[in-house]
Amino acid sequence: MRVDVRALGACNRLAEYGAQRAADALAELTGTDLAVEVTGASLATGEDLAEAFAGRESVGVSIGLRGGLSGEAVLAFDAAQVDGLLSLLPGGASMGRSAVTEVGNIALGGFLDGWANYLGRAIDMSPPRYLEADGAAVLPDGALTGDGVFLFESRLDATAADLDFAIYMLPDSGPFRDLVVGRTPAAATHGGDSGSTAVPYESLSTFASLAKRGSANAADNIGMMTGLETTVEVSRLRFVPLTDVPTEVGVEPHAGTVFELQGKPSGYLAILFSEQGAANVAAAMLPMEPAEPLGEMAQNALCELGNVMTSGFIDGWANVLGTSISHSPPEFVHDMGSATVSPLVAKLSRRQDYGFVIDAAIQTEGVQARCDVYALPDERELAAALEELSHA
Amino acid sequence: MATRVLIADDSEFMRNLLREILDGEFEIVGEAENGVEAVNMYDEHGPDIVMMDIVMPIRDGIEATAEITESDPSATVIMCTSVGQEEKMKAAIKAGAEGYITKPFQKPNVLDAIGSAV
Repeated sequence: MRVDVRALGACNRLAEYGAQRAADALAELTGTDLAVEVTGASLATGEDLAEAFAGRESVGVSIGLRGGLSGEAVLAFDAAQVDGLLSLLPGGASMGRSAVTEVGNIALGGFLDGWANYLGRAIDMSPPRYLEADGAAVLPDGALTGDGVFLFESRLDATAADLDFAIYMLPDSGPFRDLVVGRTPAAATHGGDSGSTAVPYESLSTFASLAKRGSANAADNIGMMTGLETTVEVSRLRFVPLTDVPTEVGVEPHAGTVFELQGKPSGYLAILFSEQGAANVAAAMLPMEPAEPLGEMAQNALCELGNVMTSGFIDGWANVLGTSISHSPPEFVHDMGSATVSPLVAKLSRRQDYGFVIDAAIQTEGVQARCDVYALPDERELAAALEELSHA
Repeated sequence: MATRVLIADDSEFMRNLLREILDGEFEIVGEAENGVEAVNMYDEHGPDIVMMDIVMPIRDGIEATAEITESDPSATVIMCTSVGQEEKMKAAIKAGAEGYITKPFQKPNVLDAIGSAV
């Protein structure tokens, strides 16, 4: 199977549209505004997903899909938010599970309408099934068992209430395969010139493994340079609209380093800590407490750390892809999270609307210093490198 | 004499909501939880209007609508569903539905749909 990344972009637009419909429906039901924070498709193994969802307790509603799209869709939210949701629904407090189930049914119905209309084929939904689940068990059936699956994920946040929803859709390979390879007329129309961006699925899966290995290397490098114990909490390859990336990083102050990648693929890489996390890591690297938490000495330390982490990240790509990738000197950034990545996104957006984002969350033991790595490769160059990889 | 309504929806929450909207202005003759019950209750009560969900267990709302309108061509069925797919709307109309409202809805949406259908 070959995956056309542009056709995947068309699918992602459908998921975005669907998420907005779902948000509108939920807003009308609950009387509170909801914003679609991010929608993306991730290629992840069951192991990755189990790690990413560890410790979460969710309540959700699951719906089976047949017809124009087959698979499963789930609306989920934090189990601790159930009472808050019920209090917003007319008669919800006394209806409990039935109210939650119907909320999920309505939201998922809205989510799927766009897909069905785009395909020109009806999608049959099974009656909604209420579920309470720990960890990744909330995900659609099959998400945890395959070598690598496409999982569409949208996050919806209520602006005035403590309510966050997530929609997960795991399409089966059948009709979905035609969509992502650009074989349906609709996908072909929206996907445009699909030939140059189609890559073998297996190569994409290999790249996802590389991303994971790169995250582990980056974490090891932090450990070596700071003496802190590190673990990679999340590492996923996602396909997202580039414009969503700044929103996802958020408005909280961040500090870290950004790099331009040169080679095949070119692109950008950002290594971001929370402001306090960056100060903590810098302090751990320096022989004495710096005069200013993020002053010149700390900046130098973080730049050096960024250098080493970036090399650890991209060396694995270059070795496996059989290419040479170098990176620019580190540029220290210290700003609102969204402002740190917006310039990178703006540059890449001249060439593409969607990007493969590799996000890795690296946690240090003892010191609060979570680190997020965003790697944004050029899609065409990545596709070409993956194509060559498939012939190697 | 009040217009007689049958509600068919597998969600108790939604049946309650519809009941609250319709109570006082309409007579609710029954509440079905699936398509088979909807057909049986239609035969039993002969309501003026059926508010019919699409996605229901055992038999879905489109199949139930087709069965009702086949046995009673004068039946008035309004689809009342979370599904807003054009193909599903076409299928519902083909099955004999007179109207279509998508959840979530407000009272005026429901009353308008009923007003247009009868």
